[in-house]
Amino acid sequence: MRGALRTVLFAAFAGALALTIGGCRADLPADSFPSGAAVLRLALADDVPTLDPAAGYDAASWEFEQVLYDTLVRYAADSNELRPDLALSWGISPDATVFTFHLRHDASFTNGRQVTSADVRYSIERVINPKTRSQGVQYFLPLLGAADFAAGRTPHARGIETPDPYTIIFRLDKPDPIFLHKLAMPFAAAVPKEVVERWGEDFARHAVGSGPFMLKQWLSGQRLILVKNPHYFLSGLPKLDAVVALIGVNEELQWLKFEAGEIDISSIPPAEFTYVMKTPRLKALTIHHVTAVTSYLGMNCQMPPFNDVRVRQAFNYAVNKPKLVAILNGRGVVARGVLPPGMPGYDPDISGYAYDPAKARRLLEEAGVRAGFAPVVWLTSDPTMLVLGQSIQQDLALVGINLVLKPVAWGPLLDAVREPHTAELFLLGWGADFPDPQNFLEVLFSKEQWGANNDTFYYDPKVQELLTEASVVADPKRRYELYQQIQQIIVNDAPWVFLYHPVAYVIRQPWVHGIRLHPLRPARLDYIYVTARGAEGEQTSGETNQTR
Amino acid sequence: MIRAGRLNWLEIVGGTIALSLVVVALFAPVIAPHDPTRAVAQTFGDPGPPSLAFPCGTDQLGRDVLSRLIYGARVSLIVGLSAMAVAMTVGVAAGLCAGFFGGWTEMVLMRLTDVMLTLPGLLLAMAFVAILRPSLLTILLVISLVSWTGVARVVRAETLSMTNRDFVLAARALGASAGRLMIRHVMPNIMPTVVVMAALSTSGTLLLDAGLSFLGLGVPPPTPSWGRMVEESQIYFRTAPWLAFFPGLAILYAVLGFNLLGYGFLRRRNPQ
Amino acid sequence: MLHYLIKRIAFGALVLLGASLITFCIAFVIPADPAVAIAGVKADPHTLATIRTQLGLDRPLYIQYVRYVWRALHGDLGRSYARRQSVTGLIVARFPATAALAVSAMALSLILGTLGGLVAGAYRGRALDNLLLIASLILVSIPVFWLGTMFLVGAAAHFRWLPLGGFDGMRSLLMPSLALALGSAGYYSRILQANLAEVVGQDYIRAARAKGLSPVRVMLRHALANAILPLVTLAGLDFAGLLSGVVLTETVFNWPGLGRLAFEAVFNLDIPLIMGTVLFSAFLIVAANLVVDLLYAWLDPRTHLA
Repeated sequence: MRGALRTVLFAAFAGALALTIGGCRADLPADSFPSGAAVLRLALADDVPTLDPAAGYDAASWEFEQVLYDTLVRYAADSNELRPDLALSWGISPDATVFTFHLRHDASFTNGRQVTSADVRYSIERVINPKTRSQGVQYFLPLLGAADFAAGRTPHARGIETPDPYTIIFRLDKPDPIFLHKLAMPFAAAVPKEVVERWGEDFARHAVGSGPFMLKQWLSGQRLILVKNPHYFLSGLPKLDAVVALIGVNEELQWLKFEAGEIDISSIPPAEFTYVMKTPRLKALTIHHVTAVTSYLGMNCQMPPFNDVRVRQAFNYAVNKPKLVAILNGRGVVARGVLPPGMPGYDPDISGYAYDPAKARRLLEEAGVRAGFAPVVWLTSDPTMLVLGQSIQQDLALVGINLVLKPVAWGPLLDAVREPHTAELFLLGWGADFPDPQNFLEVLFSKEQWGANNDTFYYDPKVQELLTEASVVADPKRRYELYQQIQQIIVNDAPWVFLYHPVAYVIRQPWVHGIRLHPLRPARLDYIYVTARGAEGEQTSGETNQTR
Repeated sequence: MIRAGRLNWLEIVGGTIALSLVVVALFAPVIAPHDPTRAVAQTFGDPGPPSLAFPCGTDQLGRDVLSRLIYGARVSLIVGLSAMAVAMTVGVAAGLCAGFFGGWTEMVLMRLTDVMLTLPGLLLAMAFVAILRPSLLTILLVISLVSWTGVARVVRAETLSMTNRDFVLAARALGASAGRLMIRHVMPNIMPTVVVMAALSTSGTLLLDAGLSFLGLGVPPPTPSWGRMVEESQIYFRTAPWLAFFPGLAILYAVLGFNLLGYGFLRRRNPQ
Repeated sequence: MLHYLIKRIAFGALVLLGASLITFCIAFVIPADPAVAIAGVKADPHTLATIRTQLGLDRPLYIQYVRYVWRALHGDLGRSYARRQSVTGLIVARFPATAALAVSAMALSLILGTLGGLVAGAYRGRALDNLLLIASLILVSIPVFWLGTMFLVGAAAHFRWLPLGGFDGMRSLLMPSLALALGSAGYYSRILQANLAEVVGQDYIRAARAKGLSPVRVMLRHALANAILPLVTLAGLDFAGLLSGVVLTETVFNWPGLGRLAFEAVFNLDIPLIMGTVLFSAFLIVAANLVVDLLYAWLDPRTHLA
């Protein structure tokens, strides 16, 4: 019996050893780049959700999708201006219903095949096709015949024409001045049909595009490696030979690795932020911008007492927004209206609501809301959201309101806010998809969006009328004037407690250059370049541990 | 039902810990220096270190950590003890019935426990809480749901060994009803085991509750809970380690108390 | 033996079927709408309706269940709603990290637990035994997520030598596996000590002692071999539990294993992924039960294979 036991133990340990080594082998750097190669080392907290442009609808996926694929047009590195990408030139009919693009001849997928107008059409039809289950479908349904194609009644969408391999024409069923911006979203990126069909839903793992980088390796939960596309059509881009992203490195760990010089760009964890800002050497390496996002506390305007504008205004006065920004270590700008700064149509003169608990108490009293009123706020169980929710809870307690937090997962939260008379209060944010005020004001406050994105069930006849008028105005000046007018009415009606616009910070190593933050999109990796490490004077590593 | 006699040291220490927790929980408003939900310091976004005024520091919302620890005992004890009570009741009932009636009853009950024991407890609890949304009641019930099976198994085994003993056979021969047999004759004899299991499973339910809170699936804020306090402070592990230290210590203290009690009871039954 | 084996396997299959039924019930009493999980934040109601039809969510429940089981038998656990990847593929991708952690944690806890149990057994009733009792009670009472966090606090300054998280070679295994192992080591040492106490009272040990063998020799040679048997059962089941992922430890250490996967699945209410991970761990536990029982039967001739 002892012998048997020994055998078992031995077998167990041998197996253990084999497994451990096997497990580790998967983690050895599978590819070492030649010395002198320009490699950018990044770290991500969570795995990239997808690399399939039809599927991704989040910053993490887009950061990589936008350099793996090309769209007809793309944004300039740090502004909302549209630049040629797959299309060299384009024309728009005066009524903004017909869009004609002339494609470049020198673009090819990394499998060697040329990109033609048929590929662009296939890619957009793939997004419209319900089998793809793409979240981007909504942007292309206004194409003529899109519904017929989606229902399988026609082999192609009537509104997409490809008269020759280098020309593509889009026809819409009604004017859309911002359709060009929709074509700049990764949803509209060109993908090679033969590769998509070969891998089906696993295309994301075998991504092939025509962009400045190509996918080298994606080890789920561990590592993502992109390498330079040597045949990319824009000369001089990308400036890097490779991008290596370690996955599963949380913010705190990213920071430690950054301090040790192990990664080149990092986010700054809340706990370290004050220190970084107090240290001139580090502060000089930070880059920040105000994101095109507005965080808000939504109030359901159909549910008493929030159908009373005084109650909604009282909540606006009662919430201490500068405190929220302080809790975020100052990484936010107090919101005074719907539109974030930097958004076309943003109105710097809008006054909003200052912190004034006394006024809040007076308004609540006028509206007949008694002390002890306990409304329920729905929010995600994300730790930051919960901390912010608790801060608002503290503020409201001071005006006699006992806010109840209801943390739920994303799905149930969205279900609840879309259901009429369900969520009286909810903590959400909205990020712009296009640099146009319509993307905030119409999407979030028009009656057509009740049960969809107008979660406050806000309705105002004047606003509705102006929204309809503004949506087809192509002249920017007139368009933005109308939207400013709309915003002023909404701010007065206060369906939201306007909270803050997050400010995004990153920190780079001294040897990393060319990071240009875009107002709407993740920074493009193809403009970034690195110089010799240490050549830029002192390194970041080492010394910081001693100072603290 | 437990043989009287001198308390052993395990019981004394464990009992003292448990008692102190109950006292702290009951008199939290008197003991706590501050309101656990109000901002009492201006340490927004930047937790304050321990000081004379705030012996355990203040958190990123300017709240007094000590007061939160004191109030945190309430939720932990309520969830831990009631979940234990529910789990014990269900487990003992199921185990007794299975052991006593045998046949189909046993078959069904024990296969159910087999299946439940196969499913990963924490994962199951997480899924349930996420679906049903966290509240005191859901958390309590979910924890009991994943905790009763172990009890049922042990009680069944004990009951089985009881049913063939002389006094049970005799009572049965005298025409005692099944219910009477179970309650008057079997129950008292398995009671010592039940008491041990109650103490030990309280430490289990406390840990499960703390784990759920740590994952953000505990009783929703502002109710202070130790597990959530550790979670909220984890990002400060380098700049403000005390913030995570104290609530974890509180969990350890409570769990240890009930484990000591359990081992104490065990030693009383079986001095070996 | 063969008869026993077949019976056990059939029984395991039945238990698994029960487990799948329970998970399926959980998944489908969910009031949440999976369509939102797939289509995301900004989808319009039209897209959502299309997705529901696509997934067959408009079919009767029992048909959905039968379809699920049928596919599961072919190794297809469906596709994650949130990640759009095959659940089986995700589990396979995450398994190495979890397995590495499980193996090293198991090895550590067995070594520490056996040592602790042996020492406590050798010094039974004396101060050292009591000290070890307290130590092991403390160990089993420590919440693992806190122990892990405290490890991080302690190691923060040495992170270059000791990776603070992520699955990054052998050294990165040290902290998470130690955090995991300490609790079960405390438990194992108690079990072993109790078993030793029982074994030591038996005649053949007394006889060995009487022969004048040294206590250490008696302990190692005779008592341990018998007392460690129940530990095999326990450790086998624990190992299956470890292999199915450890949510708390993986969360603290950012470990890219099955536990994190399951946590993310729950957080997103990603039903196929929740069901997949739950079923996978149920499968592991059933398999471990089987292996342990067979092992036990083989090691201990007193067990009769019935």
